[in-house]
Order: sequence, then C-alpha cells, then structure tokens
Amino acid sequence: MTADTQSAIRTSEPLDLQMLIETIPAMVVCALPDGSVEFTNRAWQEYTGGSLQQLRGSGWQTAIHPDDVSGFAEEWNASLTSGKPFATEMRMRRADGQYHWFLIRKALVIPPDQGGNSSLRTLIACEDINDRKQAEAKQRQSEIQLQAFFENSPNVIFLKDREGRYLYANREFKRVRRITEEHINGKTDDELFPVEQAATFQASDRQVLEAGLPVEFEQVTIQKDGQHTSIAQKFPLFNADGEIYGIGGIVTDITERKREEAARRYIEESHRLIVETASDAVISMDDTGAIRFANPATMRIFGYDPTELIGKPLTVLMPEFMRKMHETGFRRYLATGQRHISWQGTELTALRKNGEEFPVEISFGELTRDGHKVFTGFIRDISTRKHAEEKLRASERTLRELTETIPQMLWSAEPDGAVDYCNQRALDYTGLSAEQVRGAGWTKAVHRDDIESMSRVWTAAVSSGEPFQQEFRCFRAADRAYRWCISRALPLRDQSGRILKWFGTVVDLHDWKEAQQALRMTQAELARVSRLTTMGELAASIAHEVNQPLTAVTNNGSACLRLLANRSLEPEVLRRALEEIVADGTRASAVIARIRGFIKKAPTEKTELDVNEVIQEVLALASHELHKNQVLIECQLTRTLPLVRADRVQVQQVLLNLIMNGIEAMMGVIVDSRALCLESRIDQSGNVLVAVRDSGTGLGAEADRLFTPFFTTKANGMGMGLPISRSLIESHGGRLWATANSPHGAVFSFTLPAAGESPS
Amino acid sequence: MTAASLVFVIDDDPSVRSSLKFLLSTVGLQAETFESADSFLRRKPADIPSCLVLDVRLPGLSGLDFQRELATRNICIPIVFLTGHGDIPMSVRAMKAGAVEFLTKPFRDQDLLDAVRVALDRDRAKRKQDKEVADLRQRFDSLTSREQEVASMVVAGMLNKQIAAELGTAESTVKVQRSRAMEKMHAASLAELIKMIEKAKAPLKEAS
Repeated sequence: MTADTQSAIRTSEPLDLQMLIETIPAMVVCALPDGSVEFTNRAWQEYTGGSLQQLRGSGWQTAIHPDDVSGFAEEWNASLTSGKPFATEMRMRRADGQYHWFLIRKALVIPPDQGGNSSLRTLIACEDINDRKQAEAKQRQSEIQLQAFFENSPNVIFLKDREGRYLYANREFKRVRRITEEHINGKTDDELFPVEQAATFQASDRQVLEAGLPVEFEQVTIQKDGQHTSIAQKFPLFNADGEIYGIGGIVTDITERKREEAARRYIEESHRLIVETASDAVISMDDTGAIRFANPATMRIFGYDPTELIGKPLTVLMPEFMRKMHETGFRRYLATGQRHISWQGTELTALRKNGEEFPVEISFGELTRDGHKVFTGFIRDISTRKHAEEKLRASERTLRELTETIPQMLWSAEPDGAVDYCNQRALDYTGLSAEQVRGAGWTKAVHRDDIESMSRVWTAAVSSGEPFQQEFRCFRAADRAYRWCISRALPLRDQSGRILKWFGTVVDLHDWKEAQQALRMTQAELARVSRLTTMGELAASIAHEVNQPLTAVTNNGSACLRLLANRSLEPEVLRRALEEIVADGTRASAVIARIRGFIKKAPTEKTELDVNEVIQEVLALASHELHKNQVLIECQLTRTLPLVRADRVQVQQVLLNLIMNGIEAMMGVIVDSRALCLESRIDQSGNVLVAVRDSGTGLGAEADRLFTPFFTTKANGMGMGLPISRSLIESHGGRLWATANSPHGAVFSFTLPAAGESPS
Repeated sequence: MTAASLVFVIDDDPSVRSSLKFLLSTVGLQAETFESADSFLRRKPADIPSCLVLDVRLPGLSGLDFQRELATRNICIPIVFLTGHGDIPMSVRAMKAGAVEFLTKPFRDQDLLDAVRVALDRDRAKRKQDKEVADLRQRFDSLTSREQEVASMVVAGMLNKQIAAELGTAESTVKVQRSRAMEKMHAASLAELIKMIEKAKAPLKEAS
C-alpha cells in the first residue's frame, strides 16, 4: 500500500496534494527539512485531538511519548542528513491521553518546486501498531513464564527433534544428568550419555515416534547419590500441519517416593503384624457402630471368625444388658464429644459366640479418617485374672474364717508393736471390742500386776525381733476372773529380713497350771502310795508262796481227820502226815517272816548287814516270779565283802525293785536269753557295789528320764520305783545309777558305804 | 469202785501233790500226780472215768492255757482248778471253758472232794453216753442203705404210702423194710426209734 500511495502521489502531481493527503485514512504528517511540521492530515488531528496550529513547527512533539522524543529526533535527523529511508516505532498520545504504538515511516519526499516557492517536504505515514505490539509483549511474557516453569521444575524436561538432537533441556536435566555444558541444544544422547544409557533413551524415543502417542517408561539411572528410579513420560510434538517434528519428555524421579512407600509399607506391615499376633482382641468400629476390622485373637477370645464380624454391630460382643447402655453412650459421645467412661483399661462384661459372658479389660482410641470417626479397641480377656483374684479372695476369706473359728485366741501386731487385730475368740474371751484392743489397748485385759512385765517383754521382743513369750493373768469376761494365760508371738519377715508383722496366740493354761500345782502337792503322797502299790503287786506271789504250804498242811490234816473218823488211821501214816505238816508249817512261817521284815513300816533301823545275805533273801522272795518267767539267775558274789550299815528292809526293797524291773525288761526277749546277773563287789572307793544286769531291751532313748518321778515304760507302772529306790540309797550315803549292758540290756548299780568307814 | 476211777493231780509243789494224794486216798480215790502239764500229757489217756486237779500257776504254761491246750487236742476231761490267789475274771474264764470248780488255796477238804466227785460223775456219764451212741451208730450201720433211707424218712414223720411214692416202691415193701430196721435197731416202738436215730446222728453232726 505504501508503494501504491507513493506512485499515486507521483502520478497525480498536478492534483492538489493537500487534498489528497487529507482524504487518506492513514495518519500523515508533512514535515519540512528542519523537522517542523508543515501540516497534518485530518486523521492525525482526530487521533491526537490537536489543531494544525498547535502542531505546526515543533509542537507536534507534544504528541510523542516523552521517553520516545529524543530517540525519534536522533533518527529523524540522521535520516535527513543521509537521505536514507526512515522507520521507527514510538508511542503517540491519543486525544483521551492514552499512548498507542505507531510505526513512523518516511513515505514520500516531495522535491522543492522550480519557482523556489516551496522547500523540500517529507510525508510521514503513521501506522497504529498498538495491537501488534501488545500481542508481542504478551507472547514474550508467556514465553518467560513457561521458561521459568521449565527451569524451576523439579522434573527433568527436554525437547528433541526427530533425529534426537536436543532442542531444549531444563536446569534439572543438566543437574541430574550432570551436564555442565551451557549449550546442549543440537547435541544427541550419544554425545551426552554412556552408550547403554543413550541406547535406552533412543529406544524409547523411537517407540514414541512410531506410536505417535504419549508413552510412559520406568527408567533406572545411576546418579551421583546412587541408583534412581524415574517415570519418564515422552510425547510427540506436532507442528501446525499435524506432523511430528520432535519429542518432549518429562521425567519424574520416584526414588524418594518409592523409599517412602517402602517405609510406609514396612510400618503398616509392622502394625498389621502387631495387631494380628496380639493376644488381645483388636476391633475397629466406624461411627455407625459397625465392626470394620477384627484381628485373629478375636477368634480365640470371642469365638467369632474375624471375617464374620465385619459389618456387624459391636453390640453382638456384649451381653444384652450392656447393649442399650453402649448405644446411648456412643450416640452421646458422637453428639457431644463427652466421654462418660474411661477409655483406658475399663473393666466390662463381654459375650462370647457361645453365649458365655466373661470379664474383659478394654482400652480404645479414635481416629478421624475422611471425616469419619473410627474407633479401635484392645480387648483383653481377664477371666483368668479375675478367677485368680477370686481365688485369692476366697483363700483370704477361708483364712479369715479359720482365724475366726479356730479354738485359739489369735492376734497380730504392726512391726512397731501396735496390735491391729484380735480374732473373735480373743475378743469374746476378754470382752473387749476390736477397737478397744488396738494399739496398746490390749493391756486393759492384763492383770494390774502383770502389765509391767508383759509390756517390758513385748517391747524387748519388738525391738530385737526375737520370738515373744510371756505368761500373764488375763481377764476373762465370762466369769469376770483373771486366769493364767500364755501368749506367744513370732515375727513375719520379708525377704530382706525386715519384720512385716507379728502373729501371736494366747492360750489359757489356768486349768493346767492348777493341775500342775495339785500334782506337785500330791507327789509326795504318791511316793508313799507307790510303795504300797509295789507291795500290792507282790501280794499275789507272796500269797502263793504262803498258800502252798498251808494247803499241804490242811490237806494232810483233813486226811488224817477223815481216817481217824473211819478208825482206819494207822500210826505210821499219821506220823508221816504230821512230819509233813510240821515241815510245811515251818516253811510257811519262814515266808511270813520274810514278808514281815519286808512290809513292816518300821522307822529306818540301820544295822550292820552282809549284802550277800540280803541278795539271797530277795532272790528267795522273787523266786516265784523268776521261775514263772523262766529267768535264769546268775550270781557273782564277792565272798569277803565288808559289812554295810543299812536298813535291811530298805535295801531289800531296792534290790527287789531292780530285780522285778530286770524281769520285766526281759519279757520281750526269747526265753533262752533271759538271764539276770547279780553281782557284789568292792569298788575303787572301798564301797560295796551291787549290780543287777539284765539282758532285756535296754535303756534306749529314755535313759535320762529313768529317775524322773512318774516316768515309766510299763503299761501299768507308776514310774515311782526307781526314784524311790534312788532316794533310799542316797539316804544311806550311796549312789544308784543305770548303764547299758553289753551286748544288750541294762545294768542298775548301787553302792553303800562300808560300815567301818562311817562312825557308828 | 477203787479201780473204777482215777484222779490226776498237777502241781509244781511236791508237798501239795503228796498231801492231795493222801487226802483223796482217804475217800478211796486213786490219784496220780504230775509236777508239770507236759509230764501229764506224756501219760496214756485213761479208759476209766477220770478228772484233773490243776493248779492255775504252773511253770511255763499256765493252768488256763493248759485247759485251752487240752480242748484243742480234743481231750475231754473235767477239770478242778486250784489257785493261790484266785480272782474273779480268772475263775469266770475257767468255768466258761468247762471247769467243774475253781478253788482257792487253802480250801476246805470237803469242797475239793465234792468237786472231784462231780467231775468224775460227769466223766462217767459222758463215757456212758459215748458208748450208747457208739452202739446205736453200730446198729444203724448194720442197716442196709435202703433200710437206713426208710428209717430216716419214718423218723422225719412220713407215712409208709408217702415213703413208697418217694422211693418208687410198693407200700408193702416199705412196711417190710421198716419192721426190719426197727428190729435191727432193737427199737420197741416208733418213739424209741426216733430217739435212737437222733442220738446216733447228733454226735456225727458235731464231729463233722
């Protein structure tokens, strides 16, 4: 158009130029060589809103953007001097004050006319290029933005042409691929990467080119910090004609994500394992109260297979009476967020599939996922624990019952000695209440005179930890009397020996004490009685001894009388009978004489005795017992014994006692070995010693107690024989003792001082 | 009468033994004395009425033990016990075991002689009865087995007719067997036969 205009002006030379310019729709300015404006056309004036007068000379400059004025002037002047074409872009103010971009061009130079009336004039065309300018700026802006996106993307981004030459690669590409070159455009993978890597890239490129579609690849690359896994999305680039001219690629490094995924999977797996192997039932419930999850332990505890519980309301695991309560509480919680029970370790009752109710301990928590609450509970079957607790309680109860029913008074005290418990029997006995006996209150039951000693011994026991034992008079409520009791206590210690508690008993031994007293008082009497009893035991054999001759006497006498009555008593028969009667009578009187000497309660009458004689006398007395029990007597008597000064009867009594004991001791052994040995000799001190050895059962473990009054090994014995014998011997200045016989049996020996030694 | 009975005396005291023998001789009783139970047992049993005068206290075996010993040996001889100091339990035991008397030494002569007489009478009666039973048993054994059968049935109170039915024979046959049995048993009447057979059978039962 510009060319047209120029030609038009040239050809229409004669036409009125001004007219022509005025009618052109474009904005035209006619400038003089000094740069001043001769005139502007209407379009110009309309745009700027200024009059010709205002624009004449250099006034037109006011229409130019202040920043563009100097530049424009320079170029204009240069063009004037050189005469070269002129074209520049600048902003011009519109009538409303807005600046638009214009292309200012020298359109036509009109030479001066022949008359010299006119000078050289230049026609300048101003073309509004504002829209183009704006579009260009926008384009530039968008490119910068895109570039910024690409450059700052954490992904690798690149563009290649069909031949694999890089058209673009962003900063991440260079960083990741460790490419330092500033310009990689035009280079291929072969030049940038190891052969194998490049081959892989090129293969995928080919795939995209062939398919003509975006393709996703997972690729493994070795980077500075090791192996990386990436997802590469490659896509074809189409030109305006729909032809593929290149390949674009976006690579996302998923190494970190993979690692996180693995870590998350590990955590999840661990959690799953914990839940699945937990011995407690783990059950999750959603906010509708339906079970969403149950672990394998649920089967063991509730009897339900975990899968059959999914979707069921949690209430199936509760006994009927709890269901309503649970639902109300659950709804209230959802509505208000207020917890009404503890969420940690609450003991409740649960229901097994088989209908059995059992105690459980439940802990649960909540989690909000996708706006929904999920509740997970750990449910522990505590029936075993409960059972154990119950058993413990029962055992405690039994123990308590035992302490209350045992026919003993029991008490316990703190380590500091303060009484903290007395059983009912003790309370009943003393008439005190449980409160009254506490601390030192028990002393109220102790006799005034015993309180001091009792307290002292108890305090000593408490401080030393030694067992406590003390007799005291205790008040008995039943008869309002003080009775002798004994209290004993032992400390209970922990493993380190520290006293935890004292446990004590109280036993009423009043009756026993009285009996003991009575026993002591009658002991002396019994000693006398015993002597008579021993006589009584002998009476049977004595009677036999005496009755034998008496029987013979009466038989002979009666026979003679009968014969006399028949008048057939011959003198020879009578003589023989009388002889026998005399012999038997003598025999009887001898027996009687021995017994008289034995039984006579004469005061001690010491005479000089031959011990061997006494032994013979006693053997005669005991002959029947010896004979009856088939005991063999062996005598080892020393002939030349000194006389002793003693009471004959008492020595006889002692000896007889020892012989009878010996006979009894041998009842348990076989007949052939029943031998009793009597020995008399002089001991080292010159005393006369008599020993009675038996081959019986021996002294055994009781040797120490032989001489204790009332100790006896015989079913009917009194236990007085040996003590009395000893006291008799000792009253003669002698000794009586027992030793073991060899190979078995016992030896009882006594000594008596020889008569010569003691003043008579 | 002198040879018709014998008294055995066992006592460990020779004076007592001889005085007893002397006393018994005054009433015409013959006595044999022993110092121990063993020596008595060694003697052949007497075949004439006899009795035992025994001291309770014997060396070794006591009188009461000896009484039991005799019973186990099936020696039936009446015993008169003597004791130096008899007590009640001992005498009760002896009497329960069949003792005739329990006398405490020294005893009245008449008491002893009475006791010995009772003992001898008892032994004599027993011997007589034993002989009778032996006779009856001998007679009963002389019966044929069918006669024994019939006799047993008659004694049991059965009629001839019933016996015939039971044994499957004629009544007349039963009559003949019955009269033969009565004849052999020397029974004059049915009542006598019943007594005889009961007597003959009673000791048999005891023995078995």
